[in-house]
Amino acid sequence: AASAKMSAPKTIPKDAQVMIQILKDMGVTEYEPRVINQMLEFTYRYVTTIIEDAKIYASHAKKSAVDADDIKLAIQCRMDQSFTSPPPRDFLLEAARQKNQTPLPLIKPYTGPRLPPDRYCLTAPNYRLKSIQKKVSSSAGRISVPRLSVGAVSSRPTTPTLGTPSVQSVSSKVGTPVSLTGQRFTVQIPPPSQTATTKTTTAASPAVSNVLINPSLIGSKNILITTNMVAQNAGGDGLKRKLEDDDDYDTL
Amino acid sequence: MAAVQGSIVDAKDEADIKTEPATDGFGNNHANDAGVLSASPGSSAAAGNNKPAAGAPEDQQTLLAVLQFLRKNKLSESAEILRREAGLPEEALDPKGADSAGSGLGSGADVDGGDASALLSRVTVSAPGGAKAPTKAGEDQPDVNVVLSAYSQQGDPALYEVYYSGLKKFIESVLDCHRAELSQVFYPLFVHMYLELVYNNHEGEAKAFFEKFSGDQECYYEEDLRILSSLTKKEHMRGNETLLDFRTSKFVLRISRDSYQLLKRHLQERQNNQIWNIIQEHLYIDIFDGMPRSKSQIDAMSGSLAGEAKREANKAKVYYGLLKEPEIELPLDDEDEEAENEEGKPKKKKPKKDSTGSKSKKQDPNAPSQTRIPLPELKDSDKLDKIMYMKESTKRIRLGPDNLPSICFYTFLNAYQGLTAVDVTDDSSLIAGGFADSTVRVWSVTPKKLRKVKTAADLNLIDKESDDVLERIMDDKTASESKCLYGHSGPVYGISFSPDRNYLLSCSEDGTVRLWSLLTFTCLVGYKGHNYPVWDTQFSPYGYYFISGGHDRVARLWATDHHQPLRIFAGHLADVTCTRFHPNANYVATGSSDRTIRLWDVLTGNCVRIFTGHKGPIHALAFSPNGKFLASGATDGRVLLWDIGHGLMVGELKGHTECIYSLRFSRDGEILGSGSMDNTVRLWDATKAFDDLETDDFTAATGHIHLQDNSQELLLGTYMTKSTPVVHLHFTRRNLLLAAGAYNP
Repeated sequence: AASAKMSAPKTIPKDAQVMIQILKDMGVTEYEPRVINQMLEFTYRYVTTIIEDAKIYASHAKKSAVDADDIKLAIQCRMDQSFTSPPPRDFLLEAARQKNQTPLPLIKPYTGPRLPPDRYCLTAPNYRLKSIQKKVSSSAGRISVPRLSVGAVSSRPTTPTLGTPSVQSVSSKVGTPVSLTGQRFTVQIPPPSQTATTKTTTAASPAVSNVLINPSLIGSKNILITTNMVAQNAGGDGLKRKLEDDDDYDTL
Repeated sequence: MAAVQGSIVDAKDEADIKTEPATDGFGNNHANDAGVLSASPGSSAAAGNNKPAAGAPEDQQTLLAVLQFLRKNKLSESAEILRREAGLPEEALDPKGADSAGSGLGSGADVDGGDASALLSRVTVSAPGGAKAPTKAGEDQPDVNVVLSAYSQQGDPALYEVYYSGLKKFIESVLDCHRAELSQVFYPLFVHMYLELVYNNHEGEAKAFFEKFSGDQECYYEEDLRILSSLTKKEHMRGNETLLDFRTSKFVLRISRDSYQLLKRHLQERQNNQIWNIIQEHLYIDIFDGMPRSKSQIDAMSGSLAGEAKREANKAKVYYGLLKEPEIELPLDDEDEEAENEEGKPKKKKPKKDSTGSKSKKQDPNAPSQTRIPLPELKDSDKLDKIMYMKESTKRIRLGPDNLPSICFYTFLNAYQGLTAVDVTDDSSLIAGGFADSTVRVWSVTPKKLRKVKTAADLNLIDKESDDVLERIMDDKTASESKCLYGHSGPVYGISFSPDRNYLLSCSEDGTVRLWSLLTFTCLVGYKGHNYPVWDTQFSPYGYYFISGGHDRVARLWATDHHQPLRIFAGHLADVTCTRFHPNANYVATGSSDRTIRLWDVLTGNCVRIFTGHKGPIHALAFSPNGKFLASGATDGRVLLWDIGHGLMVGELKGHTECIYSLRFSRDGEILGSGSMDNTVRLWDATKAFDDLETDDFTAATGHIHLQDNSQELLLGTYMTKSTPVVHLHFTRRNLLLAAGAYNP
C-alpha cells in the first residue's frame, strides 16, 4: 500500500490510509475518492459524539475520569437513538398475522378519486388568511399593501388589530396546526373594504380571490404567491410601512 | 469417564448414585460416554440399576431428564411425586460431566452447560442407530431441550474446531454420490457454530474457528462470510436483524434418505453430539426418497440465506391464470380492417367484439374468480382506454427469434449518477424518473406537452357539457415538456404509474410512499408505514391497490383510499428489494436480499411459494403475460425462470456479467428482455425456454431439476449501450422495446 501512495504528490494522512484498508477488508474495491472523506467525517463525528456523551455520563456519576462503562453506555444510548434497526421477526409475523386476518374491504363504486380521509392527505392548504382591519379615518392616505410574514406563527402577531378582542383571539389561534409540517405563512392582506370584519376566512374579502397559493408544496420553501392586490392608495412610500403599523397600534 | 461435579453431588439428597461406566459396553445404547455420570469415585456400581442399559424405552429417558430438571431446580416434592408415579427407581442420576469425550472437562465454568448437554445427549441418543429414528427423540425432547439449552454453552469452545474437522473428514470419506448432499451441511453448521462462539463471548476461539474453516465454504456465500468476519462480539449481533433471524429460523436442507442415514449414524456413533445438537436445533432436514442429487443440481437451488424451500412450502394451489377481460364493444370504425371483419366482407360496418380477450366462455380452472379480491369497477375512461388498447394490439408485431424488436433507448443525461428509478406508462406516453436528490420528474414521450388542470376559478367558467371537456380542463399556460415533483426527503428508489395515468407513486429512503396526481402535478398522500427506506413500489394492473417493500423486511399492500396497509407480507429474512404484482392482481412476488423470492396471496397474506437459487440479492422480477411463469434477476448476473404452478425452477439464463436491474416480457410473452449494469440489453427466447414444459410431468416430489445449459441458444441478441447501465425496460403495445438509463461515463 505504501508504494501505491508514493504516486500521490503528498502523502495521505494515516487516518485515510486506515480507512482505505478498512474498505479493502470489507471487500469494497471500487469507490470514488470522496468516499474516504465522507467515511472519515462520519467516523470523527460518531466518535466525538460518543466521547462527549460519555463525558456527560461520567460527570453525572461524579467520576473524575471517563471509563469503559461510560463509553459502553454512551454507545448503547446512541444506538437506540440513531441507529435503530427494524423490528424483530416475531413481532413482524405477529403484526402481519393480525393485519391479514381482516378481509379486504369492498370498493365503493363511483366515488371519484379514491383517497384517504382529508386529514391523512396532503391536499389541505397549509396557510390561513388573516384580514387586517383598519379604521377608515386612520388609514386615509395610507398605503395598504400586502405583507408577508414568514416564520413561527406562534409568536406575537405583528398584525395591527383594531380594538376588537375577538380578532385578537383569532390571531392567537393561528398557531394551531392547520395542516401538516412545513412552514406556515401568514398572509395579511388588507381588505379593500374598510369594514372591520372579524372573520379571517378567505371568502370574506374579494381581494383574495386571486391569491394563488400552491398548498401542496409542503416542506418546500417556495410558495408561489401572486396577489393581485388593488392597492387602495397606489402611490406611497414603502419605507413607511412599518411605522404605519406602529401608528395603528397607537390608535387602538 | 465423566467428571464429577462436586457441588451438585452435595446438593443432592440421594445417597445412591448410579454408576454407569462409560465404556464401550454401553456405547451402543447410549452412544456416548458423555452420557453419564459417575458418582464420586468409589461409589458402588449399582449394577442392578442400569436401567437405561438394556434397551430402555425413550420415554424413560425423557422422564429421567424431567426428573433431573425438577431436582436441579430444587422442586424436590414434585420430583418425588413424579418419581413415584413414573415408577422410577430410587436412585437418582446425577448428570454431570462434560459433553465431549475424553476431555475431562469438569471445569466449573461449564456447570450448567455440562448439565444441559449431558441431559440432551442422553435423551437424544436413544436407540441404536437405525432402529429408531432419532428424529423421534428430537421431538420428545423439545420441552426439556428448550429450557435447558437456550443456545447456551454446549461444550468446550476449544473443541469446536475438533468437531468440525471431524465432520469434514467423515464427509470427505463417503461415497461420491452422497458427498454433494452432505456437504450442504457445512455452511449452516459453520455459521451457527461461529455465532454460538461469538454469542458466548469466546472471541478468540471464534476468530480462530473462522479463519480455519471459512475458506472451505462455497464461493457463493462469500458475502455472508465477510459480514460474519466483522462480527466478533456479542454486542455486534444485537443490531443485525438479519443474523438474528438466521439464528432463530431453521435452515432448510433437502437430503435424500440414504445420505441422511449415513450422516445420522456417523454422528451418533461418535462421542460428541455437539454437531448433532446443532443440527437438530438449527437445521431442518427435509428428507426425500430417491436418488441423491448431484452437485450441480444442489448448486442451482442453494445460495439463499435460509437454505432451500421445504416441499410443503410450495404445495399450496396458486391461481396463476388471468382474469377474464370484460366484453367491450369496439365502436364502428372506418379504417381498413377488413381482415378482422368477421363476415369477411370489406367495409361492412359491424361492431367488433373484443378479439384479444379470452374467447372461451368457461372459467379457466387455474384462474381466480373475478370476485376473489375486490377490484375497482371500470369507469368510462377505463373503457375508452381498453378500446385504445385493443386497437393498438391489433397492430402489434409478432416477435420471435427471427423477428427481434427494435430497441429505443432513452438516456438520461446530466443525471450525475442520481437516477435511481424509472417507469413508463402502459401506453408509453409518459416517462418518469426518480432521482437521488429526492425529486421525481415526469416527461412526455409524445409531442403532446404536459399540462396542469386549471384553477378552480377557471374551471367554473368552462362548458361542462362539451365533448372535449377533458381537454378544456387543462390549462395550456402551464404546458411544458417535463414537470418536477418535490416532496420526498430522500432518494427516490421506486416509481410506478397507475394504469389510468392519473396517479404516480414514488417510494423513497425517507420511509414514505407518495401518491402524486398527474392532473395537478402535486402530491396527494404520503403513506407512512415503513419507517425505513422503501426500496420498491408498484401499482396493481387494475389500479387502486399498490405494494411497497423496504428495509424492514416486509412488503405491504395498500389501497389508495386507506392510510394504513391492508396486508403485511412478513417472512423474508432480509430487506425486500423488489415487489411485483401478478397480472391477475391476486398474487404479489417479492424478491429480497436474503436471495429468495416469495409469492404471496393477496387475499390471505400467506406465502404460497418460495423460490431459492439466486446467489445474490434480487433486483428484478417479471411475470410472463400469461401469468404462468416468473423471471428473476439478481446481482449474480443470472436470470432464473420459475414455473409458478409447480413451484420449480425451469430455466437459467447466463450471460450478464453484472447485476440485472430490469426484466420485461414482450406483450405476448415470446421474448424476455433483460437490462443490466454491464451496459447491455439482452433478448432471450422465452417461447423456447418454456417450450418443453407445457407437459405436466414434473417430479416435484424430489425437487430434482434438470436444467439444460442452453443459455447460448436462448440468447437472441446482446445490445450494448455507451456506458449507460440499463435501469428500466418497457415493451410498448406494439412490441417496440423502450429502455432507459442514465449516462455514466
